[in-house]
Amino acid sequence: MAVNQGLSHLSDHFLMVTLILYFLAVLAFAADFAFGKRGAPEPAQAEVPELVTAGAAGGAAAAKPGASTASPGPGNAGTANAGPGEAGPGNAGAVTGTLGGRAASTGRPGLRDASFWVRAGLALTVLGVLGHITGVVIRGLAVHRVPWGDMYEFVIAVTCVAVLFFLGLMIRYRPYRLGLFFMAPIVIIIGLAQTVIYTPAGPLVPALNSYWLAIHVTAITLATGTYVVAAVLAVVYLFADRHARRVAAGLPVRNSEVFKLLPSPERLDQFAYRTVVFAFPLWTFGIMAGAIWADEAWGRYWGWDPTETWAFITWVVYACFLHARVTAGWRGRRAAYIQLVGFGCLLFNLLGVSLFITGLHSYAGLS
Amino acid sequence: MTETSRMTEPDEVALLEQEDQPPAAPPRASGAFGAVGWLRWGWRQLTSMRTALILLFLLAVASVPGSLLPQQGIDPAAVQQYYVSHPGLAPWLARLSLFNVFAAPWFAAIYLLLFLSLAGCVVPRTYRLARSARALPPPAPRNVARMPQSVRHQTGQDPAAALAAATAVLRRRKFRLRTGDGWVSAEKGYRRELGNLLFHLSLLGLLAAVAMGGLFGYKANRLLVSGTSFANTVTALDVFHPGRLVSSSDLQPFTITLNRFQASYVRSGQLRGQPSSFNANLSYSAQPGARAQQYDLRVNHPLNVDGVKVYLIGHGYAPVFKVTDGTGKVVFDQPVPFIAVSTSGLTSEGVVKVPDARPDQLGFAGVFLPTAVDAGGTLESVFPAPLNPRVSLISYKGNLGMNSGPSQSVYQLNTAGLTELPVPPRPLAPGQSIKLPGGAGTLTFTGYRQWASLAITYDPGQVPALIAGLAALAGLLLSFFIRRRRMFVRAYPGPDGRTVVDVGGLARSDPAGGFDEEFARLAGEFQAAYAGETPEGKTD
Repeated sequence: MAVNQGLSHLSDHFLMVTLILYFLAVLAFAADFAFGKRGAPEPAQAEVPELVTAGAAGGAAAAKPGASTASPGPGNAGTANAGPGEAGPGNAGAVTGTLGGRAASTGRPGLRDASFWVRAGLALTVLGVLGHITGVVIRGLAVHRVPWGDMYEFVIAVTCVAVLFFLGLMIRYRPYRLGLFFMAPIVIIIGLAQTVIYTPAGPLVPALNSYWLAIHVTAITLATGTYVVAAVLAVVYLFADRHARRVAAGLPVRNSEVFKLLPSPERLDQFAYRTVVFAFPLWTFGIMAGAIWADEAWGRYWGWDPTETWAFITWVVYACFLHARVTAGWRGRRAAYIQLVGFGCLLFNLLGVSLFITGLHSYAGLS
Repeated sequence: MTETSRMTEPDEVALLEQEDQPPAAPPRASGAFGAVGWLRWGWRQLTSMRTALILLFLLAVASVPGSLLPQQGIDPAAVQQYYVSHPGLAPWLARLSLFNVFAAPWFAAIYLLLFLSLAGCVVPRTYRLARSARALPPPAPRNVARMPQSVRHQTGQDPAAALAAATAVLRRRKFRLRTGDGWVSAEKGYRRELGNLLFHLSLLGLLAAVAMGGLFGYKANRLLVSGTSFANTVTALDVFHPGRLVSSSDLQPFTITLNRFQASYVRSGQLRGQPSSFNANLSYSAQPGARAQQYDLRVNHPLNVDGVKVYLIGHGYAPVFKVTDGTGKVVFDQPVPFIAVSTSGLTSEGVVKVPDARPDQLGFAGVFLPTAVDAGGTLESVFPAPLNPRVSLISYKGNLGMNSGPSQSVYQLNTAGLTELPVPPRPLAPGQSIKLPGGAGTLTFTGYRQWASLAITYDPGQVPALIAGLAALAGLLLSFFIRRRRMFVRAYPGPDGRTVVDVGGLARSDPAGGFDEEFARLAGEFQAAYAGETPEGKTD
């Protein structure tokens, strides 16, 4: 079927607007560091592992059961260690005295508590991702297939997944101030995609003309987008951890103001781990779907083609990361470095293998 | 998973993270240990997580040269080319199996050690899981409030009633329960360990399936000009790679005829010349004498004959030549497959060998241009479809050298015994001829046909590999998204006469996160239960 050039151009316009919105979001997140108020509570500070007299935190967690036990009476649930405002049978402040960090995370600060700049950044990101999704969908309509058939389309789809996963992380754990560190690389990647590797909408070669494209490449796209988020978290973790170590060792530190606003290194490490936990099964499934497709198309499910080999290497390195996190002496920084090596393999497969390896085969080898 | 290291019960730590500790120190050479002691130490080293981690790394690193250097099994021509361009280095790389990395002994050593390490880790875990699946959860610790998750409730109910209410909630949530004097402990999520085991066992299964394919499967190639047919026998195949335990009588005896090959291309725009579809129309019969059936063989659409799959992997042109020799006899009249040397215009090269020509044998080296266009004196093909087909030939006479020496490629002409004939280099259109000087004969380019190259593969390990892969994925999902967690409840009279209920929670593994939310939800349900509410109708 012929490519609809009008829709293709419309998609390009939407993605251009997306890029501008993301860029403005980056400016807003950066402005928060420059001008934002510093008093707002952060999740990082709410998880000090000591007995917390839960205020809003406990109240929020218990709101549901508390509301359903509205009839006060002697046999009703009560509270201990509660602030005077919340004491009372059947009150919403029933769950209190949380100990340890994770329970307190139910009491993460709401959007109301975030600064104007953070809210502006998030709003711009949400608007941008709507444009992003629209652009991807319209490109799909223009070419009558899933819109991740060439490198340009793939990068655009991957960044869309990364931004959506980032927003999911924001909704669930609310580490709002990571916005700058996420959105800045996203803007650079999309900008490069639109200038360096832009490909006009077109039909696929017969080898790609299969429903396995939808299954295999979709899984790989989702996994890659999620791995992007994990890699950003690992980098921020490494900086935050270095800062925390220097503080602990009494060494001079820079940018303390910034690190105070970020989640703790432990929390960042946990975010990164959970992100990889989502991406890894997707990647595994993507490789398996690719193997089934390879069997349909080429007559073997695995042939150590360079792309297959690097997908395998990437899988093995992320498996190393998952194992390292439960191995004494490998947690923390080492695990984060392994994760970044895995991401490097992923990038090499996407860029290096696609662009350079065929040349390496014969002439550019090891000479 | 790091949370578990804070746990107080040593046996529990051992159950969950037996790999977490550095391997024990090697035994001293005292009489008590000896060879058995060393073996045991070596086994423990091998099956430790640290060793598995290093082997995993090695596997990743060892795969890298396989993607950077040409591989014999993937692209033998590129390996030959590498020998030509790096004559000093190539033999050394070959000695290290670097042109055949994935079949190299050192590569096999890494993955076999890895799988041995894995088996040594998984088998004892299976025993432990079987035992713990029957065991009760441990008693509640004295100080429940020291658990990673904890909350204190107060209620007017007496301790026994409060405990019973909490127990009812946990039972309804399908926790495994253990009760004692004033406490209850509960555990859930054993399937996580099961998933972990399933994942690792499935990897062993996958290796077995791959090995099965390597022993009992085979791969072959056959180039087929339209209008011709072949039978699936070793002699009729161009390339045949049998598995170690395959003999020629194991080949399924089907016959395939290529009726027609059609290719279509994008005709305009930026992507002009890019192929948009290939279709090879086949007739095949599964056995000699069986009824012939039709099949449209396309890319991504293989033919399956009795478990053997036939794939379309290439295509090209076979110009048809008719040669009359110096004695006036027609000694050659058949299509000759030419191989594409450029993908954009499908410019193809090939050779014609006429050993029966007299008085001299004749040979021709040719170029076929599907859509020939004059580009400043030289012809080139600008489109892959045959819109303006031309053949340009260099003619030779003499001795083709086919009766002596090593066997020749049908795509190469050995010009050692040949003399080039002075024929004006005029490209031929279909129907045109060259008259060779000196009465050597005449060649006519009568037309062209298309050919398709087929890959024939049989891999009995395919379905087992798929099952193992799916089981591995299922195991992975279970082990990531089911958390094994414990809840502890202690109820006792408080100083003011009201009952104090301490609730503690511990996720022994929580890769995807979310135990904190589950704990808060359960704690809320406990409170509702003390208050005598029926939990039915509540949403989670």
